[in-house]
Amino acid sequence: MEEEFIKTDVLCVGGGIAGLMAAIRASELGAKVIVVEKGDTLHGGAARAGNDHFECYIPEIHGPDREAFIKDLLRGQKGEALMDREIFRTQFTRSFDIIKLWDSWGIPMQYKGRWEFAGHSFPGQIRTYLKYSGHFQQTKLTKQALDRGVQITNRVMASDLLRHGDSIVGAIGVHTREDKLVVFQAKAVILGTGRCARLFAGPTPGWLFNDAHFGTTTGDGRAMAYRVGAELQNVEMPQRHIGPKYFARFGQATWVGVLRDPQGKPVGTFVTKPDRLHGDIICEVNKLIPEQYTKSGKGPVYMDGTGMSDEDYEYMMYWMRHEGNTAMLNHMEEEGIDARTHPIEFMTYQMRCGGLIVTNAEAETNVKGLYAAGDESVGGISAAAVFGWISGESAARYAQQAKTPDVEMVKTKIDQREKLIDQLRGRENGPDWKEANIALQQLMYDYAGSVRSETLLRQGLSHLLRIKEKVYNTMVARNPHELRRCLEVLNLLDIGELVFLAADDRKETRGLHIRPDYPFTNPMLNKYHIVKNVNDELVTEWREVNR
Amino acid sequence: MPPIIKREECIACGKCVEACSEDVFYGSKTGEIPVITYPDECVHCNCCIDECPEPRAIRLRIPLPMMLVYKPT
Repeated sequence: MEEEFIKTDVLCVGGGIAGLMAAIRASELGAKVIVVEKGDTLHGGAARAGNDHFECYIPEIHGPDREAFIKDLLRGQKGEALMDREIFRTQFTRSFDIIKLWDSWGIPMQYKGRWEFAGHSFPGQIRTYLKYSGHFQQTKLTKQALDRGVQITNRVMASDLLRHGDSIVGAIGVHTREDKLVVFQAKAVILGTGRCARLFAGPTPGWLFNDAHFGTTTGDGRAMAYRVGAELQNVEMPQRHIGPKYFARFGQATWVGVLRDPQGKPVGTFVTKPDRLHGDIICEVNKLIPEQYTKSGKGPVYMDGTGMSDEDYEYMMYWMRHEGNTAMLNHMEEEGIDARTHPIEFMTYQMRCGGLIVTNAEAETNVKGLYAAGDESVGGISAAAVFGWISGESAARYAQQAKTPDVEMVKTKIDQREKLIDQLRGRENGPDWKEANIALQQLMYDYAGSVRSETLLRQGLSHLLRIKEKVYNTMVARNPHELRRCLEVLNLLDIGELVFLAADDRKETRGLHIRPDYPFTNPMLNKYHIVKNVNDELVTEWREVNR
Repeated sequence: MPPIIKREECIACGKCVEACSEDVFYGSKTGEIPVITYPDECVHCNCCIDECPEPRAIRLRIPLPMMLVYKPT
């Protein structure tokens, strides 16, 4: 296979919001920067189609008490994240500066000349989410990166990190449109690879790409990070989201309406008529409501916009487009579905893999030269922008004093990976990536799904290991595109294995981690559950949370 | 399944091909009307349409299992 060697100071893996913000900042500080993206940064990552909510603390709007702002923010879905308070303080010390930057770059952060805060909020509390017009944010961020001399390498999937001793020295990638191995020699690597879709089956079984996270983000960063010894946190903790049935989309807080039962009774107590300033926060208080109502025979539940004014309707439609939901709006138009007259059924989406790569407020991991930002660490748009920026600063600073690494030192690792790729590409018969992905989804649903127990988890793990071995020995990639998908599935298999191991180790019931063999939540475990790979052995630890 | 290209409207600029991070259009050739090699990997993000300079050259067909469920009036 053809090989290409590329040298850089800072390598940003993933060209979404976090990766591009990191690249822009590191480049400003004098580092040579490359962004490697398996799609195209113009429309890459989870932010590809746009977003409309940015958590932002503006003292002139919210008053001088930043802590009160954070307290109210954590009442909503952000409260799901078990996170050091220091992380939030850093985020909201810097969020206003970042939105001013974005505004100056052509991403409109104001609405009709004002800072507009709406959605994701309880009536009577501080509104913490700024509305912004993010439809073409990726295009704008890409331009800023290119203007600063960042080299963007699209259509290359970074599949493994290279570590020598205690430091990161680069990464290996494969081209997704030609048979080419790319070896990056880098002083610092920033992971901005997004969350982990396709581990659990979405609304339509066997249909791999009906997922609000889109199909691309397959936990590549956390799988790569784990393999080189970076700490992951709470990987076994499932999360679920809520949204329109069956068109899996984010943006529940962009809807103007009331979540109602079939008789028209509001499910929650926060709003009784469509309210564009708040949305219906009951969707965040309990994302399981649609499923619970259905199971108990009280469902379905609807997002009901009946009675909203034409002005509110225009408002909602404007923001829906910026949230990246244009395809769904076009579908509504084609089908004659009008949010003002048709209550739209909401559903609880499938489990998704929670957890993150452990970083501090400087976006550093425990591995020297390795940083992470975005949904891979502190999730959400605002955090991706702020910690992307911070990771760029940290990596550029580190690169200034780090020695130029020599990837010859890790040649064995590169050769191993190249051999695996040759095997995947060389086979004529065997399961393709989809078959492997579906087998994994089936297993995750049955053995690490809504009910988990020691016997189930151990049986599931043993079967996963059998599948994994078979996949490594028989999976087929018929072309470079399928090779990318195969490597995604190998990452998913690693994450799945970690979920089984960590779920077995968490001997309690907490949130959506339901253990009938340990039915109570153990207050002694109000901590971070850390997993780490030490010499190919899984090491776990419970770590105190700084609240 | 999506996307659908209207051959008579398409100017073969390739912008949709570059816009697609899933590479649904894998195998398309520069200067030719794109091919839709992996329709079932479409995530319906609409980015190909966002980038298309011709208003009617490309559209998404939403697959039956993804149709929105709503209460009839």
